[in-house]
Amino acid sequence: MTAQSSRFILICSGKGGVGKTTLTANLGIALAHQGARTAVLDADFGLRNLDLLLGLENRIVYTAQEVLAGSCRLDQALVKHKQEPNLALLPAGNPRMLEWLKPDDMRKIAAMVGEQFDYVLIDAPAGVEGGFRNAMAAATEAIVITTPEVSAVRDADRVIGLLNCEGVKPIQLVLNRVRPKMMASQEMLAVDDVTDILALPLLGLVVEDEQVIVSTNRGEPLTLGAGDSPAARAYSNVARRLRGEDVPLIDPSKERQGLRARIGRLMQTKIF
Amino acid sequence: MQAAAMGAVLLGPRWQGAPGWLVLPPQLDSSSALELVERALQEASLLGEAPLPEAIALAPGPWPLRVEELRGLAQKLAAHGARLVALCSDDPRSRVAAAALGLRTCSPWPTAGLAAEAGKALDSSRPGLTLKRGTLRSGDHLEAEASVLVLGDVNPGARVSAGGHVLVWGRLRGMAHAGCKGDGDARIVALQLRPLQLRIAGSVARGPEDSPLPGMAEQASLVNGMIRLDPAPPVWPLESSPPAGRSTLGESAAETFGLNLPRPQAKP
Repeated sequence: MTAQSSRFILICSGKGGVGKTTLTANLGIALAHQGARTAVLDADFGLRNLDLLLGLENRIVYTAQEVLAGSCRLDQALVKHKQEPNLALLPAGNPRMLEWLKPDDMRKIAAMVGEQFDYVLIDAPAGVEGGFRNAMAAATEAIVITTPEVSAVRDADRVIGLLNCEGVKPIQLVLNRVRPKMMASQEMLAVDDVTDILALPLLGLVVEDEQVIVSTNRGEPLTLGAGDSPAARAYSNVARRLRGEDVPLIDPSKERQGLRARIGRLMQTKIF
Repeated sequence: MQAAAMGAVLLGPRWQGAPGWLVLPPQLDSSSALELVERALQEASLLGEAPLPEAIALAPGPWPLRVEELRGLAQKLAAHGARLVALCSDDPRSRVAAAALGLRTCSPWPTAGLAAEAGKALDSSRPGLTLKRGTLRSGDHLEAEASVLVLGDVNPGARVSAGGHVLVWGRLRGMAHAGCKGDGDARIVALQLRPLQLRIAGSVARGPEDSPLPGMAEQASLVNGMIRLDPAPPVWPLESSPPAGRSTLGESAAETFGLNLPRPQAKP
């Protein structure tokens, strides 16, 4: 596999706490599950969490820092996932890396990772400063994740402007923590309101789901389990769309509610 | 605008295969050469201009350049897909630095002509219309000497300021400042005018709260020191200094569709 054919995807949002790391972890698992060789790269050096979410914290021996310094090989630093052998994590080094890491270092490390993997997901830090610019340097495409809140959308807009300036494209949008009932009663920004401002193709809609919190605390991403939660389905659909499959998007606020609709949907579900 | 007049100027290649020119201003000031070039590049990308020429020659004028600065400049240009190939300066240290980086060096004889051309480029840009294709996103700030026409949206958090009119062929939801150098005749026109804030010359107004009627372009103008919204005239103003007939058109439109009167759709 050469670097040209692997995809370097930046996952960013501008605002913190909207679900960048959760998306990275779940998307990584889902892509690996679908057979793609996937690496997740934690570019959030200041506040690293990706290892926690994947449940790999206690397996880290070397980090990106040692790889850059040349004191270990890349394979030694890559942590393979327990259940999903197609997925590997390159952990972030200690927070002091922020002081010396340059965009060129990031490009170097991404190119090394790209030689072995089809998908390289880069988990960007919040903000638009140095850390984000480093993360952006290695990316050839981006997924912007936002929630239907005015502040998150505003920050996402700023980030998209920066990505455009750097020539990162395509940029796609994932709308996270959607509450269909609030959207239907117009208490929350509607999907159209968000896509109106950001003007990006929508890659996925993830509904608010308590299971996400449970899975985060356990270190087992939702897409890993057999449990069929709405968020897990949304994440694996994002992965399938990213791989070029045509999976229809349903606006949850316009979906029919009620018992009859539920039974109808149940009957459409394929049971293997 | 002081900053624009003192900025670096990018000139396209004069013939096929020739390098483009990056000309620094003829007077030294407190900003560094790197800052000037960065600003020029940012302006070019914000205006959505054609991609930079592949090869670029630098005419630094009186700006002394050391190896680090030149290297930084070359990297900046490389990030925009252009390659620094030559340096035309009579400063011996700058020429040594350029040679150390493997750049061609030449005497500044072509720069005399270039400086005049760069000056002309600045002068001719003054009365014209700045055209911006694409969306201005949160945090972007587009500044223009004269009128500005945005073919796209101005999102919340973005700013447009112009010495003349601000025209938006799209939705204006950010901040617009027309006549920012005091021209009270300047107007703000948009297909959908729902800005956070409007400024014309020295006056400031908040944007309207209600959502607009679909398909109705509106314009904001200064009437007796107050910013007033009216339906936009079918012909948008393009020049900064409007012809004499303009105000009568504006007045009549305002009389017919004054802000306090019912909307044109409603029965008068």
